[in-house]
Amino acid sequence: MKDKFIESFKEALEIDRPITMSDKFRDYDEWNSLGRLSLIANLDDQFDVTIEDEVFQKLITVEDLFNEVAKRAAAKN
Amino acid sequence: MEAHHPFDLRGKVIVVTGASSGIGRQCAISCSRVGAKVILIARNEVRLGETLSLMDHSHHRILPMDLTEAAETEEKLAALKDLGGIHGVIHSAGISTTLPLRNISEDKLSNFFKTNVNASINLTRLLTRPGYAAKEGASVVFITSVMGVVGEAGKTLYSLTKGALVAGAKSLALELAPKKVRVNCVSPGVVVTPMSSSAVYSQDEASLEKIRSYHPLGLGEPEDVANACVFLLSDASRWITGTNLMVDGGYTAR
Ligand SMILES: NC(=O)c1ccc[n+]([C@@H]2O[C@H](COP(=O)([O-])OP(=O)(O)OC[C@H]3O[C@@H](n4cnc5c(N)ncnc54)[C@H](OP(=O)(O)O)[C@@H]3O)[C@@H](O)[C@H]2O)c1
Repeated sequence: MKDKFIESFKEALEIDRPITMSDKFRDYDEWNSLGRLSLIANLDDQFDVTIEDEVFQKLITVEDLFNEVAKRAAAKN
Repeated sequence: MEAHHPFDLRGKVIVVTGASSGIGRQCAISCSRVGAKVILIARNEVRLGETLSLMDHSHHRILPMDLTEAAETEEKLAALKDLGGIHGVIHSAGISTTLPLRNISEDKLSNFFKTNVNASINLTRLLTRPGYAAKEGASVVFITSVMGVVGEAGKTLYSLTKGALVAGAKSLALELAPKKVRVNCVSPGVVVTPMSSSAVYSQDEASLEKIRSYHPLGLGEPEDVANACVFLLSDASRWITGTNLMVDGGYTAR
């Protein structure tokens, strides 16, 4: 699931290079409002996960985001 | 008998889609206030009932259906045949999204066209058949959007569908004029409804402020759109067809 998540995350932000889980994703040059929208859509389409804005604001690293998605996806099954 | 006022809808049968929420709900209520008999369409029967409870008079009728199901729609609408004629349609059922190009898949495209375009054409085709539209004429109003005329990043998918209706309404107007059926669009800017409240630009104060600043007269209320629709359904607009009325607080004035 981690690989699928990273693929989906990179696709949403249009990042075409390796990334690290400890990266603070808001620091990426590619992070902007459209990237964020694309990420929201990918999480919904590919993981059936929606994260409320208040929770999302507290996620800082790629790892944080992955953990939140994994937790929510697991809760669905 | 009092003289007939050109803006009133007494004696007219009006079909309102999307009547379970937002703009469609207000259109149903406003039509009832000016005397129309309203047929309310949407999928959610409970919410259609809520709309009904807010309307004046009791001669209205709920007709729950999913407008993307062409066969089901045809079957359900058969109940409107030989009612003495439908004088107007406000087609407000629709869906919206903000989605970057990178996410516009074949599936998303067909899903949006199915709801916003295919269902609109199917509905218009069915309701303008003989035995449905009133012999003295009818008025069809599509609720489109400023996004059918101007653009915004992330609005491609939605714009495609609304622009299609704005374009289609002109040819429909010409084709249906011999039947005395008028076809017009009403294009709202951002109106406070469940649709706009759940949109991404409503999620934080900064984005909402930006959207507000695009509307010189502020954000719209459902009544603002409903009143324009009532005008387009009434005899007061009998010489107007094929147009797209911008009801947008000045959004497209700049
Ligand atoms: N709000 C705005 O800022 C704004 C701006 C410009 C244009 N518009 C347009 O105005 C129209 C109404 O918007 P709104 O803000 O009132 O949205 P809304 O509150 O989300 O209402 C949408 C309506 O469409 C109905 N609907 C959706 N899919 C349907 C289907 N497959 N079959 C039957 N009914 C269906 C829904 O009913 P059920 O769920 O019960 O089926 C609901 O009554 C839309 O066409 C929208 O694009 C809105």
